[in-house]
Amino acid sequence: MSLLLALAEQIEASSVGVAIAESRFAYPVIEGIHLIGLAVSVGLIFITDLRLMGVMLKRIPVERVLNSLRPYVLAGFAAIFISGILLFWSSAARMLESPAFVFKLLFIALAGINAIVFEFIVVPKQRPTIGLGVLPRTFRYAGFASLTLWTLTIVCGRLIPYLPAWS
Amino acid sequence: MTVLDLLTTLQDSALAHTISKTDHLVAAGLQIIHVLGLIFFLASLVLISLRAVGWALADQPVQQVARDTSRLLWIGLVLTALSGTLMFIATPKLYYFNWAFGLKMGLLLLAVIVQFGMFRRITKNESATPLFVRSSVALSVACWFSVAMAGRMIGFV
Repeated sequence: MSLLLALAEQIEASSVGVAIAESRFAYPVIEGIHLIGLAVSVGLIFITDLRLMGVMLKRIPVERVLNSLRPYVLAGFAAIFISGILLFWSSAARMLESPAFVFKLLFIALAGINAIVFEFIVVPKQRPTIGLGVLPRTFRYAGFASLTLWTLTIVCGRLIPYLPAWS
Repeated sequence: MTVLDLLTTLQDSALAHTISKTDHLVAAGLQIIHVLGLIFFLASLVLISLRAVGWALADQPVQQVARDTSRLLWIGLVLTALSGTLMFIATPKLYYFNWAFGLKMGLLLLAVIVQFGMFRRITKNESATPLFVRSSVALSVACWFSVAMAGRMIGFV
């Protein structure tokens, strides 16, 4: 851990890290882009999850919703990913010392695994039965897992400045 | 009574003290609800916008998509407005003298005007011209994204 922290301190002290941290507008503007990207990608994922759970957009077939929204989810992800890396660059050591940040990364990883399993294993296996009718139970589980994990990610992200560092 | 007197009264109220003096995690909880509400609202708006310009779900009627999404949109809006109001009540003077907050409120007013003056027409009637649809969507999304951006800056200026 101390080795990791030393590395993080070096990242933070690099010229890009210092430039972002010291600029009057860079940090808040990147935070803003992170938030808007989040609203687009995670927000559309929430809508997809609610569709999988049979809560909304029930008249539109699941695969239509998935395929139609995927490019915008991915574009939003690109925005969050790039802005997130820049934010981390300017405060790497503080982030590693924050339990909320570490848990946030854990939940993102779990949400990613859930999405991969769903897209590449669950959907291909169920394809012949996907229609407008009652969805397979696995779809509802995947939607619920995604909704929960992304909510936890956002909660942890917003808690970063509020929770104390690891003791 | 000046605006400042009013803000002082608000800031010294029992409700304000309950929010600001109980525990800093109360404020954190409000922030979390504000962000989640914003995500519900913006994602609903983006979905309806994508459909309106024909970039997603093009085979579904716009009015249908708007109707099916409106519940999530309103839940998001109510959560955001409620948590935002409580955050303001807790420390009104802090916000009143923050230029990013003033900018956010101005943009919010503009966004609401665009929403009711233009955007609503494309989700209610089918005869809007493509140019009107595209300009309403562009203006609306630009306004709401700017509200989010200005809001994010409040804590930094």
